[in-house]
Amino acid sequence: MNSYEEFSKKDKPTDYFIKLSEELSKLNEELNAFNVISESSKINKFPISVKDNLCIKDMETTASSKILKSYIPPFDATVVSKIRGKNNFSFLGKTNMDEFGFGSFGVNSEKCPKNPFNTSYVSGGSSSGSAIATSILKYHISIAESTGGSISTPSAFCGVVGFTPTYGSVSRYGLIDYSNSLDKIGIMARNSNDIRFMYDIIKGKDSYDTTCVDVKCNNENNKTIILIDELIKGINPEIEKSFLELVDNFSKMGYKIKHKSLPFIEKAIASYYIIAMAEASTNLAKYTGFKYGFKNENISEKYNEFFTTSRSNFGKEAKRRLVLGTFVRSASVKDMYYSKALKTRTLLINELSKVLNEGFILSPVMPIKTPKFDEINKFSPLEVYKTDILTIPPNLCGFPHIAFPYKYLNGMPLGAQLITKHWNDYAIIDIVFEWENNFKYNFKYNLGSL
Amino acid sequence: MDNAEFDRLLKICRIHLDKSEYQSIKKDVDEILEYFKILDEVDTSKVVEAFHPIKIPEKTSDDTIQEFNNTEGILKNSKTYRFYVVGPDL
Repeated sequence: MNSYEEFSKKDKPTDYFIKLSEELSKLNEELNAFNVISESSKINKFPISVKDNLCIKDMETTASSKILKSYIPPFDATVVSKIRGKNNFSFLGKTNMDEFGFGSFGVNSEKCPKNPFNTSYVSGGSSSGSAIATSILKYHISIAESTGGSISTPSAFCGVVGFTPTYGSVSRYGLIDYSNSLDKIGIMARNSNDIRFMYDIIKGKDSYDTTCVDVKCNNENNKTIILIDELIKGINPEIEKSFLELVDNFSKMGYKIKHKSLPFIEKAIASYYIIAMAEASTNLAKYTGFKYGFKNENISEKYNEFFTTSRSNFGKEAKRRLVLGTFVRSASVKDMYYSKALKTRTLLINELSKVLNEGFILSPVMPIKTPKFDEINKFSPLEVYKTDILTIPPNLCGFPHIAFPYKYLNGMPLGAQLITKHWNDYAIIDIVFEWENNFKYNFKYNLGSL
Repeated sequence: MDNAEFDRLLKICRIHLDKSEYQSIKKDVDEILEYFKILDEVDTSKVVEAFHPIKIPEKTSDDTIQEFNNTEGILKNSKTYRFYVVGPDL
């Protein structure tokens, strides 16, 4: 049974939704999971949250950026329309995130989201708020988005299940773009049943998004798990030990374990960041201080000064990516960077497809333990980018993947990730379902319990 | 990257950096570009670009006019004069 069915069958006290809204608002002051929480009078059905880079008509949508402050979309994103069309859901609010999705730890947001298991630790990014919301609410599904690991990483750090479908299977109409050839809308939930339930609602062709294709998703499982040596080497020793216990468990569940060496996979980080930054720098060009969100009132300023003043509202990471993205697609170096990165992606898709035809790739989600806030400051931007080595390959190549909790170490959850070939989405959801028969997930909060 | 090239990029991006941001972002950019050189080792001479990770049917939307009933909603996000968006001087 999925949470929606369980929730629908249970009687709710008359003040249930008011109490839920009050408790959530209070806890949000501590954790900063939501940028916007709906008025309690509008929450009266199964609660869904939506990452703050997806448009909900008449609800402030900022992608956690000051430059979009007060932007009110006059339309719904297609995923929102599809959920609204089912008429059984309430939109609880918009969840916090790294500005425009630029980040791995959730710290590139004005109101820093905190890990619900321990507030000294980061929540992961960029879909930080969606992961926290799912971790604290008993009945909840959150619509998130991933470009390079923005669903898997926060899911792992906050102990929830995070599913990123095949690129192109869910419409992106109404998504505030970060990187058009990498962005994917996905789902976070407390179990695989809820993921499957929501995926059936949001996937499928959309006339508003020509990159959204109608291909039937498969469920092929040859009971083979593949470990890529280059993805396992160099991870934190405690994580490695715990992960190998998980591999043993899969072996006991009847899975054949195979090792593969794929040295080329190390090229994925550079390829990903070049493409992501190049595409981001074009997407951010439209924020100029008079069409969306922030308004520069000083219209007597000259053209160039007006835009430069307005764009001072971008955060530091956004500025860094704008500069780099603009550089790598400059005419004089485009072949050396942007074109090279796109060709490297072709090679990676070919290499990984061969491996994924033999089985599912299993790895930890992050090579490091969940960091504390004071540890993050010691990382250079490049060191942060390199921590994405486990989540970037499937994101760069558009392969479906799912993150799930597999252990609790010193009170903090650890997450693993399963990757499969294009359009085999249901297979990995089913494997996590199989895992859930052997392992019980823990949550520190259960707001809205019945 | 020399300072002149960095300044040119800032101008194209319409980004102003204060002194401390300038120094730290410049340093990061140099470090990251150095790392990107890892792709020099990849032989892509016979490879085509993957503009999308999957094959996308190259069919664009039909060129049809559709009625949009919420023009006011769009204009609400801008400073307006009569029915026009107000922007900076050219």
